[in-house]
Amino acid sequence: MGRTVMIVDDALFMRNILRGIVLEKGYIVVSEAASGIEAMKKLHSHHPDIILLDIILPDSNGLDLLQSITATSPESKVVICSGIGQEQVIQKALELGAKAFIQKPFTPEKVVEVLEGLVG
Amino acid sequence: MDMSQYRDLFVSEARDHLSAFGELIVRIEDVSGDQAAINELFRHAHSLKGMAATMGYDPIARLAHIMEDQLSRVRNGEIPLVPSLADLLLEGADALAGMVLQVESDSASIAESAGLIERLSAFDPGSEKKSERAVSPQPEPASSEPSAAASHQFRQSDSLKSIRIKTETLDQLVNITGELITNRHCLAECARQGGLSALDEPLHQLAALLRDLRDVVFKARMVPFAFIAERFPRLVRDLARKQGKEVAFHIEGKNIELDRGVLEEIAEALVHILRNAVDHGMDSPDERVAAGKSYNGEISLVVARDKDHVDIVVSDDGRGMDPERLKAKALEKGLITAEQAVAMTNQEALMLICSPGFSTAATVSEISGRGVGMDAVRNAIHSLGGVLSIHSQAGFGSRFVLRLPITVSIIQVLMVRCGSFEVAFPVNVVNRTMELMREDIVDDAGQKAVLLDGVHVPVRSLNRLLGQPVLSGGAAGIVPAVVCEAGGRLVAFITDRLLGQQEIFVRPLATPLSFLRGISGATVTGDGRVIFIVDAASLA
Repeated sequence: MGRTVMIVDDALFMRNILRGIVLEKGYIVVSEAASGIEAMKKLHSHHPDIILLDIILPDSNGLDLLQSITATSPESKVVICSGIGQEQVIQKALELGAKAFIQKPFTPEKVVEVLEGLVG
Repeated sequence: MDMSQYRDLFVSEARDHLSAFGELIVRIEDVSGDQAAINELFRHAHSLKGMAATMGYDPIARLAHIMEDQLSRVRNGEIPLVPSLADLLLEGADALAGMVLQVESDSASIAESAGLIERLSAFDPGSEKKSERAVSPQPEPASSEPSAAASHQFRQSDSLKSIRIKTETLDQLVNITGELITNRHCLAECARQGGLSALDEPLHQLAALLRDLRDVVFKARMVPFAFIAERFPRLVRDLARKQGKEVAFHIEGKNIELDRGVLEEIAEALVHILRNAVDHGMDSPDERVAAGKSYNGEISLVVARDKDHVDIVVSDDGRGMDPERLKAKALEKGLITAEQAVAMTNQEALMLICSPGFSTAATVSEISGRGVGMDAVRNAIHSLGGVLSIHSQAGFGSRFVLRLPITVSIIQVLMVRCGSFEVAFPVNVVNRTMELMREDIVDDAGQKAVLLDGVHVPVRSLNRLLGQPVLSGGAAGIVPAVVCEAGGRLVAFITDRLLGQQEIFVRPLATPLSFLRGISGATVTGDGRVIFIVDAASLA
């Protein structure tokens, strides 16, 4: 399993923090997107191994986006990274094909733990 | 993981969310039921909450969270976005902006907004309406107006309390203020020549307003010393390590404010003095122990404000300097004559290290440079209208005192007539003015001097120094003199006439005028003449 990552979050602040965490662990951030449309555009050219995906995005719901992603790039493993932590949302995300769920606010250790679990 | 590196980004992004939030709320109040806008409001609150929680700014996260909750209820159609809720949300956005400001200003803790959180979480549009009716027959003005006014006030006083301004804009403000001052002198001159006494009062008021303007403009340019001091501890530490010296360094008075221009000019000079202190001044631990001193050396940098100037004092408890050795060195280099060496005071001998081409280091070190350093330091201080003095005792360390004006571009000067010239002395280097009788001027070891408080103060003819004809003084043989602090001692400049004090706008000199010895700048008078500003220290 490769270690290329795409980060989808509307907050530059969040993208920077996530980037800092994954870069430190030797992952390669191949792409970043601030909206659903941008994410789908970039997905076509990159097909990253891991996608860190926020739910609340300016132009779309992360869960809808999740379906589009799994249809377009089924080999990418999607990790939902969100402040919305209700059980039914997590359940729905996992049903729709997300491989893991990281609740915001997260610790760097939590992010690393989830990624290492995926990469194996 | 060090989160502090993300702080600035947090602040700017949080501000974006909050300003968008505020605009949206107002919009939704106008266009009720705008679902897209409500979603966006929710998203802003949600993002801010997540960011704040990630940074560990819990009070921000808690408040944003409760706002997000209420917006979620609006989004689900549970409650309408009534004006009183919009007010509460706006109040919340303002409180959040205040907290973000605290984050930005590095406050140790963020003030909690418990009352607001309670009001937000207890908000219920139905019950509020009922209680309002019970309290007052005219519920709307009674309940919503004061809170709207309060939130409006809060926004005005808090989120707009400080703004960023480009430094060029501040420079322009100083220039315009300076030109206005010149212009006022010009107007006053015209009024005087035309005998227009009706202009006296408006001119008087204009002068007062210009003083206020100048003060405010300068206040806007003031920056705490800390602005340049941040790199000094690291500099001293790294240099000391490189040289195997043990140095404890401390800075006092970091909060004292100076004009940004002064700080910029002085930063390199201070770096040089600190380098010298570690490189030449500080003795090695072995030398120190052998001399009965503590193993660790100490270097301090103390900034203190004294009326209209600031003293920056760099002291070390190192080797100190021996005036006799400095004189011998200067003699050997041909910088002074044997007679001058004999006549020299210790103070003057110490200032020799600022002579061009003088270096006391046994070997010129990679760090402190090539012996031109202290010369450049002295020039930088003089060009600001400041004074450098050096105190030292062999074996006990040295002290460099930089006396600097708080601002540079608009200063008080003493105008003096010298032959065909009028020249200006910055008031902060003038110790006093006096009128000397011919018999006051005595011979002190071959040099003209005057006895002041029991000390022989050298007398120099300003006319001669500036290449002007020397007058013999009036019939009574009285000569006016300006006594200046120059190079750590006093010097009396005799000249033709003292004309009085004035506020001027200093213009720097460009090449080739900047090469003129004894001149540090110029100003234009009200009637359009150019007046040079004397650098007393380099003439002394």
